[in-house]
Amino acid sequence: MAALLEQIRVAVIHAILLAIAFTSVMPFVWMFFGSFKSYVELTSGESLVPQAWTVDNYRAIIFRANFPQAFWNSTIVSLVVTGCVVLTSAAAAYVFAKYRFWGKEQLFIVILSTMMVPFAVVLVPLYVTIADIGLNNKLGGVIVPVLFSTFGIFLMRQFLEGIPSDLIDAGRIDGASEWWIFSRIIIPLSTAPMAALAVFTFLFNWDNFLWPLVVLTSPQSQTLPLVLAGLRSLYWERYDMWAAGSMLTVAPVMLLYAVAQKQFIRGITMTGLKA
Amino acid sequence: MKGRSPSDLLLVARQVLRKPQFWFGLAMLGPLIIWYIWFAFSPILRAFWMAVVEYKILQPDQSPFVGLRHFRMLFEYSLFWVSIRNTLVYAAVFYVGMVPLAVFVSACLTSVARGRNFYQFVIFLPVVVSLVAISLLFKMLMNPQLGQINLILKSVGIPPSQFLTSHETALYSVIGVDIWKALGFYVVILTAGMLNIPEEMYDAAKVDGAGIWQRFWRVTLPLLGHTLTLVSVLIVMHGLQVFTQVVVMPSQPGGPGNATYVMNLLVYNEAFTNLRFGFATATAFTLFVFVFLITVVQLRLLRPTWSY
Repeated sequence: MAALLEQIRVAVIHAILLAIAFTSVMPFVWMFFGSFKSYVELTSGESLVPQAWTVDNYRAIIFRANFPQAFWNSTIVSLVVTGCVVLTSAAAAYVFAKYRFWGKEQLFIVILSTMMVPFAVVLVPLYVTIADIGLNNKLGGVIVPVLFSTFGIFLMRQFLEGIPSDLIDAGRIDGASEWWIFSRIIIPLSTAPMAALAVFTFLFNWDNFLWPLVVLTSPQSQTLPLVLAGLRSLYWERYDMWAAGSMLTVAPVMLLYAVAQKQFIRGITMTGLKA
Repeated sequence: MKGRSPSDLLLVARQVLRKPQFWFGLAMLGPLIIWYIWFAFSPILRAFWMAVVEYKILQPDQSPFVGLRHFRMLFEYSLFWVSIRNTLVYAAVFYVGMVPLAVFVSACLTSVARGRNFYQFVIFLPVVVSLVAISLLFKMLMNPQLGQINLILKSVGIPPSQFLTSHETALYSVIGVDIWKALGFYVVILTAGMLNIPEEMYDAAKVDGAGIWQRFWRVTLPLLGHTLTLVSVLIVMHGLQVFTQVVVMPSQPGGPGNATYVMNLLVYNEAFTNLRFGFATATAFTLFVFVFLITVVQLRLLRPTWSY
């Protein structure tokens, strides 16, 4: 009897989880099939799968809405920022975790405190700073303000504190240079948090909307989310175009997620448990 | 320190300068400090200054000091109160909807062993997808006449909704989409926290005759304290700083009317539509006050004093 009840309980829980999983994935399935439908079929058709598959939406959008340029811009921004943030975070975290110097903790606290300030507060002053050095309406204006990541330094420091200092001392006794210790001992040991940080940084920059919206005003310099949002007015209520544009924006991220699922989950878990 | 002569200090300095650690540390922290001063600290300081001057875009040095006038203007600005109301409603409803749902889903995930990774993989999917794409997607699904959601509601006999096109439902529609998108993020944190609770705690509770509900209320929730505090703080910060959805989803940003006009949108519009930089920054500071106060209160009330 008890065993049967337990089985029913497990079955109910699986049913609930399946329902939630279904809700999470269904809109994307609809969007995927919708992007291959004609406008008439998308707005009238009852069937989920297209009756007549077409790639006209994609063709129109690629040639009329500046998608290839935006794709390129987004790729440049995301890759450059990800590379820089992972390196700068690891280097700064190493110094904060393993070096002893006057004012270290105070400096760390001051850096951390910038995380408390909502982005809206610095929106205008940061724009003025970027405009002063001539980076407005350039990809550099999106890249430079995120070259260092407070969150990344925090995350990497949490991890590096756990690496025994004996390893570093052994390297020093053997006459290794500081750079050698950092690049041959520290980096290989911290590939897991670095991968997690890389995935997060890439994603954040691929999706970022508010800051690029402020900085990038000309169509040639815009990133994917801006061009995608622009489809609303370019193709008024043309859901077939919206679906195709969304698919183009979403596909690389979904691929990355499918490949690097572990890093995503691990990254979140690490921050959650250490806080 | 007192007994040291200048030559001693020179000796110490020379020793420090000879250490490879000093040079490596300097090479690493030097750029960091310069960058933080340039792109983090000085914008924050400049924000304080901007809020109390009438910022002249072409001649910033000649911006006249106006004191608290921007804040006085804000309090007389009806859109400011509308945006505060919407932002607080947004954060509150998002919180009340998200916390029980995320805890419930996490509890379900923790209690199954088989398929946990698969469920987590799928539930987390909306988190990774671009917010603009999701906003467009739900704008389509929520179309009152053609949208799939109303078709489904009709087919099961629930009256259809106007969703984003009506004053009453627009804000809640945006919140609903946000909950759908962000759920997986908080579920992953909470599930990790729940799995981290030692199995012995549950065994002890079982021996004492606690049922599944009692184990949840008396063991899981109290022992989840630290994780729950973190999630709670993150959820509020998320809700108070909403922006992208209210720009992309309604027919015009903040619409219909002012139904989804939130504080971040007010900051953006005042700065880059009306070019009132000082006024916009003053608005941002009020948002900062909300974020700061609510976070501090939460940490005081929720943070457990124990650890295991």
